[in-house]
Amino acid sequence: MPAGFRPRFRWKGDQVIVDLPDDEQQILAHVLVQLRELVMGETDPVLRRLRPTARPDDDEAETAYREMVDNDLLRSRLEAIETVEAGIGGTALDDEGISAWLHSLNALRLVLGERLDVDIIGHDALQDLPDTDDRVGVFALYEWLGWLLEQLVAAATKGMARGGH
Amino acid sequence: MTAPIAAPDIDSDQSTVLDHPWKVIVWDDPINLMSYVTFVFRKVFGYSEKKANRLMLEVHVEGRSVVATGNREKAELDVFRLHEHGLWATMEQDS
Repeated sequence: MPAGFRPRFRWKGDQVIVDLPDDEQQILAHVLVQLRELVMGETDPVLRRLRPTARPDDDEAETAYREMVDNDLLRSRLEAIETVEAGIGGTALDDEGISAWLHSLNALRLVLGERLDVDIIGHDALQDLPDTDDRVGVFALYEWLGWLLEQLVAAATKGMARGGH
Repeated sequence: MTAPIAAPDIDSDQSTVLDHPWKVIVWDDPINLMSYVTFVFRKVFGYSEKKANRLMLEVHVEGRSVVATGNREKAELDVFRLHEHGLWATMEQDS
């Protein structure tokens, strides 16, 4: 761990403490607004990554499944986004809060990964993009979200090992 | 002496208990972090770290893994929770 490294998430007591620097708070708040618009819009093709097909073998069953869960899934996403927004400035997360942050950070990563065509282009090629490429900024954001998520998973795993949740 | 037994009222919906169990499958994708996927398996299914890690590696190496089985309602709930976490999960009936 480099000197002066400030962990964004750490396990303390039986909670995960969120501690983001100001600039990162602003970036996260900004992208969460976009995520909310995206999931509420319900037309962007990237949404298929946030609500994958459950029954690829059976169209009728898939339609019934979607009718049953889509509202709940949307509500869950919106509530998770709200929880993160409320805690961006610093907070202590219980089990529910941890889930909300995991869901939201991962959803942002999935959306950006889809936009970047990570599945087609691959991480290595994206890492080697020339500075002039339009995707460099988006890829940096994607990498940063992954870095945050790794820290949150590590902190939450520590809690799990101690029977915290 | 036993009182005559009335014909039981069989609800056709009960036939679902005889259904084959359902499989919940998680598919490999290039975006989700390995540590995250392991964590989700532990959290959603209560699996040990060892089991969760083995399933995660199976997804990564084989491209898919059956992570849970059960009746249809349980499989639907599992898939829902996996989708909430952003994993690529499907369900199918064991044939």
